[in-house]
Amino acid sequence: MALTLEAPAVDIGKAARAARRPRRGRRLTGDGVASSVFLLPILAVFLVLFAVPVVQTVYYSFTDYKGLAPVVNWVGFDNYVQIFNDPSLLVGLGFTLTFALTTTIAITALAIPLAVVLNRKFMGRTFARSLFFFVGVPAQAIIGLIWQYIFSPLKTGALNSFLVTLGLPSVPWLADSTLAQFCVIFVAVWAQVGWHATLYLAYLQAIPADLYEQASIDGASRRQQFWNITMPELVPALAVSSFLLITGGLKIYDLAFALTGGGPGYATNTITQQIIQRGLSQFDYGLGSALAVLFTIACLVVVLLQIRAATALTRRYS
Amino acid sequence: MNTTMRARERRSYAIRSVVMLALTLLMAIPLYYVVISSFKTQADMATSPFGLPATWVFENYVSAFMNENVWRSFGNTIIVTVFGVVFQVLIGSMAAYGMILRSSRLTAGVGALLVLAFCIPMQSTIIPLYRLESQLGLVNSLTGLIIIYLGGAVFCYFLIIGYMRKLPMELLEAAKIDGAGPFRIYWAIVLPLIRPILITVIVFQTLGTWNDFVWPNLLLSSAERRTVVLQVFNAMGQFTTNWPQFMTITVVVLIPVFVFFLFCQRWIVAGLVAGSVKG
Repeated sequence: MALTLEAPAVDIGKAARAARRPRRGRRLTGDGVASSVFLLPILAVFLVLFAVPVVQTVYYSFTDYKGLAPVVNWVGFDNYVQIFNDPSLLVGLGFTLTFALTTTIAITALAIPLAVVLNRKFMGRTFARSLFFFVGVPAQAIIGLIWQYIFSPLKTGALNSFLVTLGLPSVPWLADSTLAQFCVIFVAVWAQVGWHATLYLAYLQAIPADLYEQASIDGASRRQQFWNITMPELVPALAVSSFLLITGGLKIYDLAFALTGGGPGYATNTITQQIIQRGLSQFDYGLGSALAVLFTIACLVVVLLQIRAATALTRRYS
Repeated sequence: MNTTMRARERRSYAIRSVVMLALTLLMAIPLYYVVISSFKTQADMATSPFGLPATWVFENYVSAFMNENVWRSFGNTIIVTVFGVVFQVLIGSMAAYGMILRSSRLTAGVGALLVLAFCIPMQSTIIPLYRLESQLGLVNSLTGLIIIYLGGAVFCYFLIIGYMRKLPMELLEAAKIDGAGPFRIYWAIVLPLIRPILITVIVFQTLGTWNDFVWPNLLLSSAERRTVVLQVFNAMGQFTTNWPQFMTITVVVLIPVFVFFLFCQRWIVAGLVAGSVKG
């Protein structure tokens, strides 16, 4: 009994030692294997959700692929030519670019002073910080729907009936092309200014207070302090915030779609809406893909320009 | 001199307080409008949109809570968000760990590919991905939606790797000498160590996934599968003649978002700043 008990015990010890030895050997050279194993899932994601679809989009953009018909013909640049000859599609491109640029400028111009004030003491500061930030938290689609009731061009629309009680004429907010574009931009600024002020605030709070103390002792005015201390310290935040704004602005879809449905006419159509409507709803995969390719190129150009501007700015101030 | 400065500071404090109070209230008008409208009748909402209700009506809430589509949409959104975010964070953090395990031609290549993926706007993959989902029979399924959201792993990876690179490597070396394999080190040492960034990423991605409209709108066609945002969007069409009902559903849907915001505000800000450091 004792022997039989002992024998497996020895065996287990041996097996354990034997198992441990090669494992240690593998471990020494095994980081490469482990590393590849850990990278596998993201490579799968990259392949399935990014690489293959992008290649397909580029390919479709040169074909007349309709999704339904089995025959796919190579049509060269026909889809691209069609886009540049279709005013309704160009309007979408124009509005998307206008939206990205104006929201970036307006939000930056408002968020910096807002952050400076939010960084100073006043009554109800915590509440103000939270509220400005909170309006950017709900889904953009829901925000768009809420504002649709407010900007409703009917006399019963919230803002219009308020104007009428003040004795003012009602305004065709979402029924007029230019006004509708303004409304989409306005709501985007309303929703995002708090987020970006918060971003600037985080950088403001990192500025050492003795910089300001020293400056006041040296007799610098508040204005001088702002331009010579605060602004240079905010340059990194400016680079980041404007990057987020411009890339996010180019991708606008939910807000405009919920607020105006893209109308009136094509006034607030965004590229994303057109890719979805022309490409998927109307089964014109070729045209939709060509739009997507143009959009991607536009994004890359804008992002490169933005990065270049930001680097130049950062270099000047550091 | 000192007293005049103090007086001036007191005055500017007062001015700031008044101006900011006014601005904050102005910002809050749309929120006030939604909440106050949910307690009104249709006629009341049309005649005095910004006034207090003539009589406080609670039936809108009763019928919103009786609306099973609203409850089901919460269930759907929770499923999609939980699975979507867990897998995103898992894949992203695994990739980051795989990258710091060693540097080789492979890791350099993967790093470059992921930067590329990060630059690709969602719009450029939308048509092929929709086609893929319909070929796999995943249209109108929550699984199909979750698969699409795995793309968020790339963003998670970028946030996490920045943090992981700052970990003390001696700690991982010591664990290795003590006999822990790479998987154990990842699970028992690395993940607990990067908890702050994990929470940030989870909070940030939860918000993004919960709020998404594009993909649910494209993929989900039946009422039983709708996510919360899609449910609100459809309520808009459904209650064209019953605005207060729409406002009530909006309030009900925004309550969890508001609670989430209250508890996670500092993590959302952290994500905003962390994401910006990387950008």
